[in-house]
Amino acid sequence: MDILQNLATGLAASASPINLLFCLFGCLIGTLIGVLPGIGPIATIAMLLPVTFGLSPLGALIMLAGIYYGAQYGGSTTAVLVNLPGESSSVVTCIEGYKMAQKGRAGAALSVAAIGSFFAGCVGTILIAAFAPILAKFAEQFRSPEYFSLMLFGLIAAVVLAHGSVMKAVAMILLGLLIGIVGTDTQSGVARFTFGIPELYDGVDFVPVAMGLFGFAEILSNLDRRIDGEKTTARIGSLWPTRAEIRRAIPSSLRGTFVGSFLGILPGGGAVLSSFAAYTLEKNISKYRNEFGHGAIEGVAGPESANNAGAQTSFIPLLTLGIPSTPVMALMMGAMTIQGIAPGSAIITEKPELFWGMITSMWFGNLMLVIINLPLIGVWVSLLKVPYRILFPCILVFCCVGAYSINNSSFLIFMMAGFAVLGYVFNKLGCEGAPFLLGFVLGPLMEENLRRSMVLSFGDPMIFVVRPISLAILILSLLLVLLIVLPQFRATREEAFQE
Amino acid sequence: MVRVKSPQDFWAGLLFLAIGLLAVYFGRNYTFGTATKMGPGYLPTVLAWMMAGMGAFLVLRALIESGPPIERSLWRPQIFIIAAIVIFGFLIERFGLAPSVIVVTVIASLASTEMRWIETLILAAGLAVLCVVLFVTLLGQPLTIYSWGF
Repeated sequence: MDILQNLATGLAASASPINLLFCLFGCLIGTLIGVLPGIGPIATIAMLLPVTFGLSPLGALIMLAGIYYGAQYGGSTTAVLVNLPGESSSVVTCIEGYKMAQKGRAGAALSVAAIGSFFAGCVGTILIAAFAPILAKFAEQFRSPEYFSLMLFGLIAAVVLAHGSVMKAVAMILLGLLIGIVGTDTQSGVARFTFGIPELYDGVDFVPVAMGLFGFAEILSNLDRRIDGEKTTARIGSLWPTRAEIRRAIPSSLRGTFVGSFLGILPGGGAVLSSFAAYTLEKNISKYRNEFGHGAIEGVAGPESANNAGAQTSFIPLLTLGIPSTPVMALMMGAMTIQGIAPGSAIITEKPELFWGMITSMWFGNLMLVIINLPLIGVWVSLLKVPYRILFPCILVFCCVGAYSINNSSFLIFMMAGFAVLGYVFNKLGCEGAPFLLGFVLGPLMEENLRRSMVLSFGDPMIFVVRPISLAILILSLLLVLLIVLPQFRATREEAFQE
Repeated sequence: MVRVKSPQDFWAGLLFLAIGLLAVYFGRNYTFGTATKMGPGYLPTVLAWMMAGMGAFLVLRALIESGPPIERSLWRPQIFIIAAIVIFGFLIERFGLAPSVIVVTVIASLASTEMRWIETLILAAGLAVLCVVLFVTLLGQPLTIYSWGF
């Protein structure tokens, strides 16, 4: 009955009026940016990080988490009604969802998406509650070599699961690791790559990097493509799915939830990969295969459940091992660090009200999101009329003020501009920002664990192979590498990202 | 005659190669140490060489395998957006929050070809009020609302 007691602790913390309010805030902002194309959860969370300085740790995390899973709900609205992905995780929802809208079944598609997401969110929450403590307990045996191997595994997985060129993803990780190392070396006190700039002695600040690489690079790419044109919104129609639609959607939702929950835990997985995988699965095993491409409800129910489940379970590695598996989780880790919380297995035992409070808040959040998204759908649709030419100056101003307020120094603003240019150039050259951010966050941790391991073993690299857990993780990493090298898998990987 | 068949990879490779070599150069004075006692220069040097190697590989591969071209840039958005950020950095220390936000909103809006003056001015004023209320009143950040720079 441990779990019930834990959940009760969490409920007591998350059901306080102020935390419910933060949860609602997070869900509202999440839905908003989910609905609006051209601004995603990464940029938003980066933008709001400085705002969370003044909040309580639990309040801050509840709000930021709400933004992430809230965006998964909002993304489907735009996908179904406008045929534009509001979020990268709803790209596949466009395919069947918009076709359904053209047939006058937009309302049904939205309901199925929201209710499927709610179900998946609840399952995801239960999975975290059930498995996180076990995993954290297991992680207590981890020492430096295990952590180093685990981080290596995470980075390799991020490469395998990233879009586009493998070589460029590896190079981006290396660059991220290098920039993560900038600052005073904790062991020798030597200032590395600081060029005498005092602001760099503590390392490169996380917020301007995330804002520049994701927020601004996104704005610049959007302006390059002129996303403002006419947006024709499909009519919503009745929100009630027919009995036949419900019967077809339920198994897809279940499968989507399963796929999403599993892929969400994997490093590099998260919401985007989950929705793609769920769509491919539905397309291959559905009884109504011939309807795919013409508005098959399975193609909405599966991916939408999957992206929400994946969004939830991607918290597991961060909360139990202290290792972020996706860029959004890297930002959550940044938020925790700002609040003075070291992410890792100790959170559950040392700060139970924080851990369980955050998990139970996800359940509240999912409930709120169904209400925010279904009866209030009209409000969000009208927000789609806000043109991008108004939206992007707002994002820019918030990023600037936010970055400045971190320590009232213009240096961070200039650094943000630098990373904006870098992010834009990388976009043009087909290099992804996500592996960079993971490398950047993991850089200092990896170096520390590597050095400690080598001290432990007197310089013998065999230490990573002799210890069983570390060896197991390394074998998994090797399998992942083989996956990239094997031509068969390579073909399916390219095919999967093509769609 | 050598031709670049994959411009994206070619330039990305050159960039990585350059950054890698620069990192090796600037990191040359940090103690390398031994495997048992790694110095502050150990990992940076190894990583920098690896990155330079990746870059060189990408450059060479770009000469053999063909890939997508680099999409053209519009320049106008990039220049105004980057200028807006940098100008904010200069203004905020001298003139405070509200004037900086107004000026920067206008500059940023110029990045879009569809910019309309009246709309932008209303937006600028609205954002200035919002930022003051949010950051100064609600979040209690120690930001100057306005000053005249003397």
